[in-house]
Amino acid sequence: MLRYILKRLLIMLVTLWIIVTLTFILMVTIPGSPFNSERGTNEVVQANLEAHYNLDETYIVQYFLYLKSIVTLDFGPSIKQPSQTVNDMLMRGFPISFELGIITIIVAVLSGVTLGIFAALKHNQIIDYLAMGFAVLGISIPNFVLATLLIQQLAVNIELFPVARWLSPAHMILPITALATGPMAIIARLTRSTMLEVLTQDYIKMARAKGLSPWKIVIKHALKNALMPVVTIMGTLLAGILTGTFVIEKIFAVPGMGKYFVESINQRDYPVIMGTTVFYSAFLIIMLFLVDIAYGLLDPRIKLHKKGGK
Amino acid sequence: MKKWLVSMVIILFVVALAACTAKKGAGEESKDNGKQNATEESVDKKVLKLNNGREPTSFDPAIGFDNVSWNALNNLMEGLTRLGDDHQPQPAIAEKWDVSEDGKTYTFYLRKDANWSNGDPVVAEDFIFAWERLLNPDTGSAAGFLGYFIKGGEAFNNGEGSKDDLGLTAVDEKTFEVELESPTGFFLHLITNPAFFPVNHKVAEENPKWHAEANTFVANGPFKLDTWKHDNEMVFSKNKEYWDAENVLLDGVHWTMIDDVNTEYQMFERGELDSAEIPAELSDQLIDGENVRIVERGGLDFYRFNVTEEPFQNIKIRKAFALAIDQKEIAEFVVKNKVEPASGFVSPGFMNPEGKDFRDVNGDLISFNPEEAKALLEEGMKEEGYDELPKVTLSYNTDNVNKDVAETLQGMISEHLGIKVELENTEWNVFLEDQKALKHQLSRSSFLYDYADPVNFLESFITGSYMNRTGWSNEKYDELIANAKSAVDEKKRWEYMYEAEKLLAEEMPIFPIRYYNQVEVLQEGVTNILRHPVGYLDLKYADKQ
Repeated sequence: MLRYILKRLLIMLVTLWIIVTLTFILMVTIPGSPFNSERGTNEVVQANLEAHYNLDETYIVQYFLYLKSIVTLDFGPSIKQPSQTVNDMLMRGFPISFELGIITIIVAVLSGVTLGIFAALKHNQIIDYLAMGFAVLGISIPNFVLATLLIQQLAVNIELFPVARWLSPAHMILPITALATGPMAIIARLTRSTMLEVLTQDYIKMARAKGLSPWKIVIKHALKNALMPVVTIMGTLLAGILTGTFVIEKIFAVPGMGKYFVESINQRDYPVIMGTTVFYSAFLIIMLFLVDIAYGLLDPRIKLHKKGGK
Repeated sequence: MKKWLVSMVIILFVVALAACTAKKGAGEESKDNGKQNATEESVDKKVLKLNNGREPTSFDPAIGFDNVSWNALNNLMEGLTRLGDDHQPQPAIAEKWDVSEDGKTYTFYLRKDANWSNGDPVVAEDFIFAWERLLNPDTGSAAGFLGYFIKGGEAFNNGEGSKDDLGLTAVDEKTFEVELESPTGFFLHLITNPAFFPVNHKVAEENPKWHAEANTFVANGPFKLDTWKHDNEMVFSKNKEYWDAENVLLDGVHWTMIDDVNTEYQMFERGELDSAEIPAELSDQLIDGENVRIVERGGLDFYRFNVTEEPFQNIKIRKAFALAIDQKEIAEFVVKNKVEPASGFVSPGFMNPEGKDFRDVNGDLISFNPEEAKALLEEGMKEEGYDELPKVTLSYNTDNVNKDVAETLQGMISEHLGIKVELENTEWNVFLEDQKALKHQLSRSSFLYDYADPVNFLESFITGSYMNRTGWSNEKYDELIANAKSAVDEKKRWEYMYEAEKLLAEEMPIFPIRYYNQVEVLQEGVTNILRHPVGYLDLKYADKQ
């Protein structure tokens, strides 16, 4: 196990390095500059600014400066908002994005699995159709459409929730609903289909024959196996939720990390592009790693380490 | 039996959940009510709730050269002059001034009771400190060019001169003398611009990042900065140290940062904002409403020809394209929001010394005329020996309105000239890069004024200007603009500008689409929010019932 973890850590570092390098290459290839404006400045000012942010160095030097900033975890000041450092932005935005993301995942998994179980148990009954109809809707409506719809109906028309911003638990309900519905629907459909499969297995029939109540069978025997595919797609869902937060944060004016990630690219704010990309990828890589570990723990058939099995 | 029990439990669970969420909302509501009651009890605190859209780039007057910074900063600080409700400069930190006979030296007398929010007096040294910083090439200010009217300003900013040669003198603590390169008729308007705000030099020398956080920020305007949660909200409260505090009616301003027009409008509908923009989709529905306010905005939406590439090296072909465009139709049916179609280059609202509008004096220079356009095209093609016009691509930076306008232009050119142009759009930064490098043939542009004088726009098209981006160069035009910037006689100066604009219309390196405006919906009882055609948002006199 330990060997596996060490090996994975090494691969993670290499992955991160590749991401950083690719990001850097893309960054210097897109035309434009952080100092581009309708007005423009004279050459001396332009040169001073470029020198100040080391943009007058060769690409190789710049590349190593970026690597250095990543190793020392100090991304320096933003070019576009010079009184703030990239670290400030990350420290301020990430906890909020994380809060939004993590609650969304919990809500999506809990409600998705519940819905899936109900649908499977009431297979081909009205509850099944309702649940799956709901799931199809959830998958097909993009989250930004749902977000606008939720605000208009629940915040403007009947004034049940606040329209936007991130101040209290009540403010969280709409953005989380908008963001969680898609993943929830995917999880529900997945749970339903695997659950249906598991329920026809012999060991379930055995449990039924023993006279166990249907709920006991589901919770104790069927669920554990039915959840495996859900764990498998968690990694992908996580990435989806992370990118989903960019849009949702904008619509609900949530002061998270999303806007730095998107705007820095539009503005060619190089230190912020680098900082947010590295941060997001490191986060995602670590999460995927955790999912893999969880997978191994849940299913003893999956061996994370090959002991002499060459 | 058991089945029923389980169902019961689940139903109970669901009901409980629903109750929980309902309660959360309910709890929030009662809290809000509580707040409202509390504020009502404390004798109606008048706090205006506005949306700044985004985090201000910087509250350093020399750096934050954009609306998101300066609309807010304009209410925290004040320069020598401030625009009044007639959009003309009024005495502000300077209570009066003398102008020398040659119009080149201004002596400002600062108010004795003008103080910073930390109690320091506002002194001449604060202005010198701030203006030197604006022009210092090391500061890297994008607004530096605004200071080129000051003697030695351009040379210092170019790295050729030194700050000792700048025409700025502190005669005594409260007397500030400025020497200009040439008499600049609009100088008093120019210095209302936030780039010319003073900086408390004692504070700034001690802490160069004084402007970055609320607890270190010192204000000298109608409001002071109480809290600033970056990318989230700002709270301003009335600045008791402000010399004219008794005329400031609001107790404070609460700014949120919502970068989504729809969300902004929904918060307005819910009463959480006092002013909002109108989302494009709702324009038809809302624009005629009672609480809608429309104010002109100095500027021009226009298209540039690239005169270094075929087929636009030919004046007649350029003109043919320009005359095939029906500006009225674009303004009324495509852009909407009651914008004015453009019939010239300088937008209405600039008054000459006799009090006449520049636009009225120079009249309509370009108007839709499909027959003439067709004739010009034929002549032009004959001159160039074209049987068929070289392929034309029209470029714009990615944006919904730009796209609608571009498609309409494509339709008009095809209908009136029988030419098929191709459309191409790129992201703004790439677009600008290509435009500067003259890689476009026909490309979208916009201009917003920094100071209230037509020369601000007209000088864009002198040879080699960064703003030119057409490849067009005309000696006579360069000369006219040089005169318009240096003429001592104000009347003469305006003559030069009229002539320059006419020359621009004759040569047509650019063609106009429309002028800009500012549209907002206001909550009932909100009054006197000042928006200027040229200048920044002013809440000094704003009130809320």
